[in-house]
This record gives sequence, structure tokens and C-alpha cells, in this order.
Amino acid sequence: MTTGQAQTDTELVTLTIDGREVQARKGELLIKVAQENGVYIPRFCWHERMEPVGMCRMCLVQVDGMRGFPPACTTPVAEGMVAHTDTEPVKKIQDGVLEFLLINHPLDCPVCDRGGECPLQDQTLAFGPGESRFTEEKRHFEKPIPLSGLVLLDRERCIQCGRCTRFAEEIAGDPLIDFGERSDRMQVVTFPDEPFSSYFSGNTVQICPVGALLSKPYRFKARPWDLSTSETTCTTCAVGCRGALQSSSNRLLRLLGVDLDAVNQGWLCDKGRYGYEWVHADERVLEPSVRVRNAMVDVSWPEALEAVANELQRAIELHGPSSVAVLGGARGSNEDAYAWVRLAKGVIGTDNVDAQLGDGLPADAVLGLPRAEIDDLDQAAAIVLLGPDLKEELPVLYLRVKQAAVSKKVPLLDLAPVDVGLTPYATAVSRTVPGEEGVAAERLVAAIGGRASGDAGIDAFAAAATGRSGPVVVVLGRGSVAQSAAPTMRAAAAFAALPNVRFLSALRRGNVHGALDLGLAPGFLPGRVTLDAGRGWFAPIWQTVPKERGLDAEGILRAAADGKVRVLVLLGADPVADFPDTDLARRAIDGAGYVVAVDAFLSESTRRADAFLPCTVWGEKAGTTTNLEGRVQRLGRKVSPEGTTMDDWRIAGELAVRLGNDFDLEFVDEVTDEIATVAPAHAGARSQLLRRSRDGVVLPVREHLHEIMVRTGDLNIMAEDGPAVSWDPIRVDAAEPSEEGDAAHEVDEARGEAERLEREAPAHHEWDRAANVGDAPGRDAYALRLVSGRELYDGGRITTCSPSLAPLRKDSALMVHPQDLARIGVEEGTQVRVTSSRATVTLPVRTHPSVPAGTARLPFTADGRGASELIDTTTMVTDLRVETIS
Amino acid sequence: MGRFSGFLVTARQMFKPRLTTEYPEQVREYPARRHGRHVLNRYEDGMEKCIGCELCAGICPARCIYVRGADNPPDDPVSPGERYGFVYEINYLRCIHCDLCVEACPTEAITETKLFEFSWNNRNDSIYTKDQLLVDDDGHPRKQPWEAWAPGQDENLSEWVRATSPSGMAEYEGRVSWSGDLGHGVRDPGPTQAELDGREEID
Repeated sequence: MTTGQAQTDTELVTLTIDGREVQARKGELLIKVAQENGVYIPRFCWHERMEPVGMCRMCLVQVDGMRGFPPACTTPVAEGMVAHTDTEPVKKIQDGVLEFLLINHPLDCPVCDRGGECPLQDQTLAFGPGESRFTEEKRHFEKPIPLSGLVLLDRERCIQCGRCTRFAEEIAGDPLIDFGERSDRMQVVTFPDEPFSSYFSGNTVQICPVGALLSKPYRFKARPWDLSTSETTCTTCAVGCRGALQSSSNRLLRLLGVDLDAVNQGWLCDKGRYGYEWVHADERVLEPSVRVRNAMVDVSWPEALEAVANELQRAIELHGPSSVAVLGGARGSNEDAYAWVRLAKGVIGTDNVDAQLGDGLPADAVLGLPRAEIDDLDQAAAIVLLGPDLKEELPVLYLRVKQAAVSKKVPLLDLAPVDVGLTPYATAVSRTVPGEEGVAAERLVAAIGGRASGDAGIDAFAAAATGRSGPVVVVLGRGSVAQSAAPTMRAAAAFAALPNVRFLSALRRGNVHGALDLGLAPGFLPGRVTLDAGRGWFAPIWQTVPKERGLDAEGILRAAADGKVRVLVLLGADPVADFPDTDLARRAIDGAGYVVAVDAFLSESTRRADAFLPCTVWGEKAGTTTNLEGRVQRLGRKVSPEGTTMDDWRIAGELAVRLGNDFDLEFVDEVTDEIATVAPAHAGARSQLLRRSRDGVVLPVREHLHEIMVRTGDLNIMAEDGPAVSWDPIRVDAAEPSEEGDAAHEVDEARGEAERLEREAPAHHEWDRAANVGDAPGRDAYALRLVSGRELYDGGRITTCSPSLAPLRKDSALMVHPQDLARIGVEEGTQVRVTSSRATVTLPVRTHPSVPAGTARLPFTADGRGASELIDTTTMVTDLRVETIS
Repeated sequence: MGRFSGFLVTARQMFKPRLTTEYPEQVREYPARRHGRHVLNRYEDGMEKCIGCELCAGICPARCIYVRGADNPPDDPVSPGERYGFVYEINYLRCIHCDLCVEACPTEAITETKLFEFSWNNRNDSIYTKDQLLVDDDGHPRKQPWEAWAPGQDENLSEWVRATSPSGMAEYEGRVSWSGDLGHGVRDPGPTQAELDGREEID
């Protein structure tokens, strides 16, 4: 809910709007109550998710007993209030405000990207005067000017509603734009030399009520009436933001944020919003190919599949099932993950499968720790952040944590290794030496237990949290890929002792949670059950089940480097770029007998593949995806794939047929339904239920069936009658299932299915708190401990293959504390020699206030020389020596 | 009269003036506002009038117009303003010559000629591209090999627009409120409907 409603209580009041008696919660704003009761009061500046300001004067109404004409957006409803929105004086005010706004508006609607879905157009038509009395010359500005690499500003069209500046400050926390000048020269300005480089800048374009803020990637690409829309879920990161994906002429052109209250509340990050461009990148591989005498040759699908199946068959026969390994799968849909798990574990019989690439957390913990939902943040007793910089890796989760900390005043403890985006909003900050997170966690447990922890920050936080109800939500992720997951796991073991603690996983890859849930991890089978517990359940359903637990990503790569992996399948994975230790990944790809790439692009890893099977990507395929809270949502198929690309799950099915096991799955819905029948955590999540449920279904299904809201309408994005609302929260109407006969039946069916599996199938895995002990080795006085995390615009495929995002990549440099720079004895920006136990590289060094002394930060970029060359995965932490180049 | 009664009609018609014309040898003069194939007009300085706004495509009931806009190159603009029609195609197998596109156009960029005599033996030819639709440097339609132009048909290109009036208000009839055309300057208003009908103006 909006911050403005924080004070509302549940007390109901009765008021009259235009002669109709309505009931509303006391303190709600009149404009919202009117809209909910079918009376649309025109507005420009008011946005439901932001504080009201009453700037545009468009929503003035008459209220009996109140002097003048109060703005409906700042007037809370009260008992006995009588409001009028359509009296003659109110109409005259609306006429006057619109005529006044249009004095300075250029009316270049035919060339304006907003034309056709413009709130100013729509509301002028509905509430405005027929003509203008203004005959003078209008104001002129240079048009348009860039505010950032993604957002353009047309100052002539701006009506100074302040939605963008308020968004930047209130919601995004990046107050980089503000109003400058006065009266008709008033305009949105950035600070000198500082562009509007917010990760959330695209949202200002979506909520702008005129065509003043424009998306550079969408500029002049289409008009609103060209676009067709599909509801979808963004898979750029694991937050699972809801979006409306729009295309024209089989090209993706725009993604708008849909207001899913439980997840993104209407907002998107810029990488998600503009990342659709990579789908149409020229670099896409569109035809299958196999290596013939050291050169890749395009072949037909049957030939390619036959070649891969033969290699698999031979490897199984000669070297046993565990000579086959599958890496990746976190980028696809749940259906892709399930089909590949069934192929790997149920047909081939190997457990050497991992969706993570050594940069996440053990599946064991992700699947077994008690889970929080994103909405729990708002009601939490306290939030503990132990993980990466959410602003860089899970931007919309960052917005939600920030909202909880700022608007809901939930105490936030920042235990990240260096300063992160949320640090300014934290109640307390405690920086431990990277690798010793467990110590901090134990201190916190002590402090919450009422004992002094020895850390003033943690004590202050514990004091703030004491007496608050609700769960303690721990946002848990790998704070640094330069250290192993063990310290984080040790901290998790400590946290798990807290009363009413829940964990929110901060793993970043799009569908990594879906992949892990469905068993794309060693030791697990679909539906959050362990291999040992689930063997008896899956053995009669599948052809086979692996005999023993297999290797994780690191183990697979080591085995491959030693020549023990005969067939290595890269399921949309690029270990050379993503595995913390590049050298090992390179050796593994070279050492593997036969490399099969199921991917959309050639990467450093897939370039060396022996068979390349091109797959469809987001926007081209239907299916479901699971976000970090376990919410299963549907993906929208908006464009037809080019070339002869195939869905990943279908590739798995085709290979299975050639290995003598027909999955008998024809359509993607059949895969979803099979998951709902065999995977214990997913039991009941059938395609039909997911189609009807507006907010998806949170796993395990049985515990969340009561939350299901059944959709009763479509996206309200381009209303046939009434104004277009893409600038207001985009929603889907929904109702309790009881109000919809057959939907209630579907929910009952899901419940039945879930209960049946609860009786018959193995129980969900629970994490064993047997702590991972062992502290990080002490570092010597001259070493700097490396902290490495992702940046939003990294060297990954989405950034580099999206022309709008690629220029936003920043140069990477080694960031150190000023004190350490002085000790090294060099100037800012100098090239230095950086040595770890693994390699020596030359990098520029800079100071950054966010880095504590004794620590060095280096972004984990997906290409080039950087952290991945230095990181040594055999040790728990990576220490660096930094020397001048003489 | 018996069996000859049937010839009475023939005999009566024989001496009346003939209505039939020997098409295509003879071509009748078409009304000034006839709807024929389109042209894309240019301003007197040669700039294109089309701004790629797609309103014509949006209104088209036959969905026969495909337009895409693009940023005007700043050093060599195609049209005045920010945006120009980058792609402009009309499929004449679909077009019903209703002229709603002409009405929707905010810049009088698209108007119709009187030409309707064109045929193809190839579907691709039925899709006119921007190069074919745009008037030439003298402001005349570009004649395609499969088109039969009668003399004068390429002259009066936008009579229909000029006969009616902006916003459809009768008091604007006959008032010049349009821009000049390449090679022709600002055209005169056409005859009003009353003049065409040969009746007195009614107030």
C-alpha cells in the first residue's frame, strides 16, 4: 500500500459522493475512495503509490461545509462527508485548469510517443473545454534533451506535476532530478555533470502524464494502437516483477510494470524494462550446429539431436551415467528445468547437475530454510541484510526493503561486507571482516537474546527490534563471490536460532529458485525433496533415479578439467564468465569430452561446444517461473521465435525419445501439469490454476491456497472506455475464488492434489542446522581481503546485447579505503599489480568511501580481466596483495 | 402490334443521346473530389509533409496502411520537426478508397488522386512503398508502369481536402487553411458543395 495510507485504520466511515452513499476506511483519500466507487476524479500529480502533494489542481472538488474547493487527493474521507465532483463550479474549475495547462502545452500529439495513451489528451477530452482562447506564441525549448542514457526530456510538454521528481526521491531514493527555474520556464533539471543515472529511471517515463519524459529505446518505435500486450513476468533477476510486454510486427518494443502488490508494486528496474532488446540481438544463434572436424556446421534439428543423443548413449554405456553433467538452467522456465531434470536424473541417471555456478548458496540451505515472502518485509519485527548489494543485483527487492525500512519504520541491520545501496536506510551497520559473517550473526543472536554483543551497532539494532511483533526477515545471499559460501552458511546457522526467523533468498539469476525447486541441484529431486527421501516416490514415475548424490558446479568443473566428464551440457550457462574461477572453468570446458550448448548466444563457453542447440528465450516462450519467495507466475509468449529455435523443455523431450524414453509431453501446459502432479512442493499448481490466479501461486501450494485471487478481468492497460491508465497502476481485477464458481472448484482440486501428495509423497526438505564451522584464515597486515559482487549493468548477455543498456556499463577498478591507498603509496586511478594466490593482474585502483579499511572491492564483471581471474575457489576467502608497478 | 411491340423500346431509345462511352478509348471526366490512389505530398521547399504519426494507419478500416516513424536526421531532415515517415506502405489490394486517412492526416501529407486504373500481375506490386507514393520534384505523382493516367488526372491532387474544411465546420468552407505544395504553391479552395450542386448558397 502507499505510504500515504500508513496512517489509515480499519474503522469504516460513511460518506456521500455525488449523491451516492459509500463506505470507506477512515483516513483514505477521497480521490481513491471515489474511484473505487466508480467516480473518476481527473488528476495528474496524484499517484496511488506516492505521497499526495496537490500540485496540479485538477482534482478539486466541492465538499459541503468546507471552504473553497479542496483537492480530492489530499482530502481524507470522514464520517458524514458530502462531496460533489460534477457540479457547475467544479466543472468550471476543471475547464480552467485544463485550458491553463494547455496554454503551455505544444499539442504536437502526432509526433509524441504518449499520443494515443496520453492522460492529458484523455482528460481534456473528458473534462476539458472544447477550445482554447490562447492565440499567442507558446513557449519553446530545445526538444528533446537527454536526462540520462535512457530517458529523454521534452520540456515543452511538461505540466510540472512532479510525479517524476517525487518518484526519484520517495520511491527510488535517487534524488537526481528536481525542478529548476520558475513559472513558464520551470523545468525538470538534473544536477550539473550528473545525469539521471538511477536504476529506476524508466518508471518516471511510465508514470509521466504527458509525453515530457520519453524512453530512448522506445522513441518513435510505434504508436500505442500498434501494440499488442501480454502479461508476463520479468526474468532478468529473481524478484519476478510482473510486467505487460508489448510488441508490434513481431518485435518486442516495451515492457510496462504491472502493479502486483505482493511483489513489484508497479515498478521495474531499467535493466528489466529495457532488457528486452537482447531478444532481437543480431548475435542470436538461430540454427542448430555440430562440430565436424573442428568447425561448426549448420545441421537440421534431427541431425543435431541424433548426434547429441548418440554421444549421451555412448557416454552412459562406456563410462556410466555419472560421466554426464548438466550445468545451468537458471535462465529458463520451470518447465525447462523440470524436463532437463527428468532427462538428466530420470533417464540418464546422473546427479551431476547444478543450476548455480558456484556463485550462489548451497541448494540445501536455499530449499530448506524457513522462507519469507517479500510482503513479510513490511510487517517484520526486523530485517537483517547479509548478502550482496540488492540495488545492483535485485533492484526491485531493494525498493521493497527500502520501503519497509523508511515508510514502515522496520529496523534494518546491514551486515554486508561493504557499503551497499541500503546502507543509508539501515538502522545500524556492522562491518565484519569478510569471511567472519558468522561471528556477526552470533553477536546478533546474543544481542536479541538480551546479552551485550560487544558491537554497538548490533546492540542498537537489537534494542530497536525489541518489542516489535512479526518475523525477523533475513535477506540471505552471497555477499561476495570472492569467498566461499561457508561463512554465509555459518551465519545462517546462527540466525536460524532466532525466534520466528524467516529467510528471503537473495540469489539473483532469473529462475534459479525454480530450477532449484525442481531439482537442478545435486542431491535433490523436483518439489524440494532430497534424492534419498524422494527416490521411492520418483522411481515408479521416472525410468530411473540416480544411485547417489552427485557433484555441484565446482565439482563438475573439476571433474571435467580432469577429463572425467564425457558429456557436459551447458544449459544457458557460461561458466567461463560466471564461475568465480575463470581458469578452472576454461580448463573444464577444454577437458570435457563432448560439450553440448543449449543456448541462444555464442559465449566464451559455448563457442567451444561440440553441438549447439539454439533455444527460445523470454518473450518467445510460454511457461512459468518461480521468484525468490517461491511464487510461481506465468510467462507471456509475445513474439514468435525467429529461425528454428526450440524451447529447452522440448529439446530435453526430444533427446529423451532418442534415449528410449518418451516423456509424452506435447504442450508446455502438460509439463506444468506434470510438475503439479509429481513434485511435492508444487502439488496442485496446475496450468489452469496458474492461469486463473492473478498473483500466481506461492510454494508450497498447500500453505498458500487461501491467498489465491481469481482474475475477473484483463490488464486495465488500454481501457476501451475511459482514460488510458498505463500511467496509473496497471492492475487486473480479481475476486476471492468463492465468488467464481468454477475457480473455487479449481482451488479445491489443487487442495486435493496437494493433500494427496502430502500423504503419499516424501516430505519437503528441511535444513539441518549442523553448522558449517571454521573461521576464515587470518589475513596478514599487508593483504586486502577481496569482496566481489555483481553490478546491474555487468558484462552479461542482457546488458551487452541490448543496445540501450550496453553503454551504461561502468569501467571497473579496484576500490580501496583511502587509508589503504595511502599505504600502497599511489595516486587515485594508477595502475597497480594485484596478486592473489591464483593470478596477478594489472588494474587501476581508486578509493571509495564504501569500502572499509583492509578490504578491496572489485566488481565481478562477466568478461575482461577482473575478479574471476583472482578468485581462488579452493580457499574460503581471497586475499590480495597490491603493489605499485615500478 | 403483336410481335413487333418489343421493338418499340429499342426504337424509342435509338434517337436519344447515347450514355455509353467506349472505355478505355474514351475516359470520362471525373468529379473533382474523386477518391483514387494516394500520393504523399511535399512542402514547397521539398520537405515531406508526412511525420510518420500513423494516424492514417490507425483510422484505416481496411488496415492497408503500414507506417513507421523515425527520428529526423538533424543535419539532413526529411520533414520539419522531430519525426518523419520512415516506412510508408499502402496495400491496394485492401484499400477501399474511403479517404479516412486523408481526413485523419494532421499535415495534409496524404491525399488522393483521381487515378483508379491500375492492375498488377504480382501481389508485391500492389503494395506501394513510400518511394512510389511520394510526389516527384515537380509535385506530380510518380507514374508506375502499370498505371493508366488520363491527362489532367495528376494535377488536382487534394481537391477533396480543400473543398471540406478543418474540423468539419461549415463556416470554414472555402477558407484557405492549408500549406503549399511542391510545384503548385498554396492551392485555391475548390468549389463549395453548393456550387457543385448548382444551387444557391443556403445560410
